This record gives sequence, C-alpha cells and structure tokens, in this order.
Amino acid sequence: MEQLIASLADGLLLGFVYGLAAMGLTLIFGVMDVINLAHGPIIALGMFAMFFISGATGMGLNPYLALVIIAILGLLFGVCIYFIAVHRVLNAPHLSSLLSTFSVNMMIIGVGTAILTTTPRNLVFSIGSISLGPVTLLGTRLVAALIAILVAALLYLFLYRTQPGKAIRAVSNNRAAAELMGIPSTQTLALSFGIGTMLASIAGGLIATFFSFTILAGGVYELKSFVIVVLGGLGNPTGALLGGLILGGLEGIAPVFMPVSWVPVIEFVLFVVILMVRPTGLMGGGR
Amino acid sequence: MTTNGAVLEVKNVSSGYGEVQILWDVSLNLERGKLTSLVGANGVGKTTLMRTVVGLLKPSKGQVNFNGSDITRISAHAKASQGLVLVPEGRQLFTDMTVFENLEMGAFTGRAKENYKQNLERVFEMFPRLKERRDQKSGTMSGGEQQMLAVARGLMAQPEVLMIDELSLGLAPFLVLDLFEILRRLKDEGLTMLLVEQNVQMALAVSDYAYVLNEGQVELEGPSREVAKNEDVRKAYLGI
Ligand SMILES: Nc1ncnc2c1ncn2[C@@H]1O[C@H](COP(=O)(O)OP(=O)(O)O)[C@@H](O)[C@H]1O
Ligand SMILES: [Mg+2]
Repeated sequence: MEQLIASLADGLLLGFVYGLAAMGLTLIFGVMDVINLAHGPIIALGMFAMFFISGATGMGLNPYLALVIIAILGLLFGVCIYFIAVHRVLNAPHLSSLLSTFSVNMMIIGVGTAILTTTPRNLVFSIGSISLGPVTLLGTRLVAALIAILVAALLYLFLYRTQPGKAIRAVSNNRAAAELMGIPSTQTLALSFGIGTMLASIAGGLIATFFSFTILAGGVYELKSFVIVVLGGLGNPTGALLGGLILGGLEGIAPVFMPVSWVPVIEFVLFVVILMVRPTGLMGGGR
Repeated sequence: MTTNGAVLEVKNVSSGYGEVQILWDVSLNLERGKLTSLVGANGVGKTTLMRTVVGLLKPSKGQVNFNGSDITRISAHAKASQGLVLVPEGRQLFTDMTVFENLEMGAFTGRAKENYKQNLERVFEMFPRLKERRDQKSGTMSGGEQQMLAVARGLMAQPEVLMIDELSLGLAPFLVLDLFEILRRLKDEGLTMLLVEQNVQMALAVSDYAYVLNEGQVELEGPSREVAKNEDVRKAYLGI
C-alpha cells in the first residue's frame, strides 16, 4: 500500500509535466487545426538546451533560471517553424501540414543525431527530496510539477486576461471575423505556434532535470502527449493538464501490478478506447 | 481627398472564387455621411462585393480607394485599422467568447482603443440587452441578440465606413424595426454606411442612394427615392 501511494505520487508529479508538454500540442491544434509532428524533437531540444545552458559541461546556469531562456528560445523557434513550414500549408488539406511538420521533425532529428550523437546525456543535478509520511518526493520532480502548474496558470491568464491572448482565442474561433476586426491573424497564429513550442520546450527542460535523454527522447513524450490530448479533448489546454495527471497516475500505479513494459500497452489501449467511446475527450474538448 | 466627396470608391472591380468569376466590372461610390444601400436578389454577388472591398477576397481586376488612397492590395486587418469595417453576413461572432470579449475584440485596433470607453457606453446604451448579457457566451444567445452584438462589435471598431451585410435576415419584425431605428440614428450622427439588405423596401426607405446588383453587375443606381419608383425594381423586389 505504501509503495502504491509513493509511486502514485511520483506518477502524478510527472503527470503535470506531461500535461504541460501536451498543452503545447493541443494549443496549436485548437488554434490552427495543425497536428505538430515536430512536437517530440522540440521537447528533446528543450532537454538539450537545458543540458547546454545549465549542465556541468555547459554554461552552468541554475536550471530554473535556464528555463526562462529555454522558454524564449522555444517561442522564437516556434515562430520560425510556423513561417517556414506551417503558414503556407494552413489552408491545404490536413495531410500537407502533417507532412510538413513531420519534415521538420526529421530535420531536427537528422541534424541533432549528427551533431549530438545518440549517446545518452544527463544533467547531474539534485535538490534533495522531502518525505511526507511514507512518501518520499524527489525535489526536482516536485519543483518540476510546481513549475508546470505555474506555467499552465500563466497560460490560462494569458489566454483569458490579456489582449494578445484573447486575440489568439478570437482567431482560433473565427479567423475571418478576427481579420475584419483588425486582428492580424497571421502574426497571431505565429505567436500561438510559438507558445505551443515554448510549452513543449519548457517541458523538455524540466524532464532533463531528472531523466537522461538523447535527441530521440522526445518521441516517447510526443506519444504521451497524443494520449493526453485525446484524454483531455483535442484543442482543450485545461483538459491537457487533467489528461497528464491521469496518464501520470497510471504510469505510477501500473508498475506495481505488472511489468513496466506493459505500461505503454495500457496507455495505447486507453488511447484507442477513448477515441472510440468518447472522441471529444473526457472533458468535452475544445472542438 | 477625391473631388466628389466619396469616402470609398470601388472602381471596375471584378472578383470571385478561384476560377469562378462572380463580379463583373462593378463600380460604386460611398458619399461621406450618407447611407447607401446595395440590393439585389439572392446570389447576385452582394456578399462577394463586401468581402472583396474589405480584403477577404482579392479582386482580379479593378481598384478600391479609401479616403483617396488605393487600398486594393492591403490585408483585411489593415483596412479595419484604417476604419473600413464590415459587419459580415451570418454575424460571424466569436461564439466561444463572451459578449463583452466580442466587444473588446471589436476594439482591437489603435483607433478603436482611443475611443473604447465612449464606444462601450454608447453600444450598451443602444443595446441594453447586451449589457445584461455581457458575460454570456455569444454563441448561446438568440439570433436577434447575436445580430445586435455583431453591429455593436462593428461600432466598437470606430468605423469611418460601416458596411453591414444582411442586417435583418431571419429576424423577428419588431427586431428589424429596432435595428433600422439604430441605423437611422447612426446616419443622423453622420456615419457613412453601406447596407446590404434583403428587405428592399425598408432599405430604400432609409437610404440616401442605392445600387441594384444583378448577376454580378450594377444594373441600376440612383437616389433611393428614384430607385424605389423604378418600374423594374418595383416588379422585381417590391412585389408591386
Ligand atoms: N465560398 C464560395 N465559393 C464559391 N462560390 C461562392 C462562394 N460563396 C458564394 N459563392 C457563389 O457566389 C455567388 C454570389 O454569392 P453571394 O455574393 O453570397 O451573393 P449574395 O450575397 O448577393 O446573396 C453565388 O452564386 C454563390 O453560389
Ligand atoms: Mg449575401
């Protein structure tokens, strides 16, 4: 029982971080109907950015300060990807944007593998742990979860309380009407894509504070993001956090009852079942 | 400024959707401070003309001048920030956003923000219903309330020219009267407007000047009173 609670708690902490990554994916989908297949490599780039900015062989900056830089780089990178690979295929059939973001995926992985190799890296970083009764929480995971919650809250405030955030919702809701009201929809879409990749790269940076990684590591989290997004409802950022918690909790509990290698199987069974039974997600979904 | 006092000049515009040409050499002028109406049967190209003027569609030929400068090629949002505002057919509200947020988005441009407070007070005074419903999601309101919001959102944009596509389509008669009353008031305040309206009789009664569009071409134009007397118009649109 104690072990169950401990691993559930651990899973939930990770769940917040998964949820943050998924939020990036679902925001982009909700706003522009594009499934960003470069999501995984962007997460991996977030990990490497963390490695180079705060690693012992890198600049050695505090990882949580490094996150600010990673966020800015992620935003800028996303805006670039938008103009290079997404903008021109926005009104084309869905397959076009899938292929073009997949190309971005392949390019990042190709260049990344050539430069960074696939030797696992890790950040030697620890801030201790705290014990609550039978449960011992690793400090890095606890802080990561708190940061994920904070970023999610900031995203919510941005989308619902600020002018550019509301413009994103307006463009997402009705692009032509937004243009008629003087909202520059192309810039707004680029910003949305930038924020989506920013969230993914922050998640990557956080994961790097406790797991080892290679340039290919993003793939796993991309798949998790898909499961979460389906759980929470496509295009629904708040649902993504809940979906992350469900997935994290599941990952925490499942290994207590079965071999770890079964966990992804369970996840994808869940994925398929949700798609069949409740395709709009558990929370209703943005669309 | 142009010599004839036209705020908006549409000159020999042809436009359409891809290969399909809908408008053929359409010209139209809006006099400053006047209410101009554009009438014609369903499917003759009124909406296409509106969309072309505001920049949602690119004309294949012709020119659109606003305050004397050529704005044919600039984007829709840039036109809106110059004060050329369209209340589109079918309302096109931000249905997932509240009434208040719709009004805020109406006031997105710099010129609109300068007058945000007065405009907000004004539209709430014109449409008290919207004030009552300010925190309701706009998509959940009745058709009439949605149309009020669409007009109010347009007014929040501080238009120099307000174009309204199908003001009264599908609304209950008493609401139609209310909206026409608002229109008259805006006209008295000196706002330049272009009205597309399927209720031809009311449109001609309220407007100063009218254009009749048929099969993508201007068939007839003139002071509304004269257009209303035209035999063909009376037969075709007024059922007389
Ligand atoms: N998005 C579109 N794509 C192709 N054809 C269209 C589109 N919208 C309208 N049309 C066609 O253009 C013509 C004019 O339509 P429209 O401008 O909406 O007329 P009106 O507003 O006068 O009723 C119609 O024949 C209509 O079928
Ligand atoms: Mg129409």
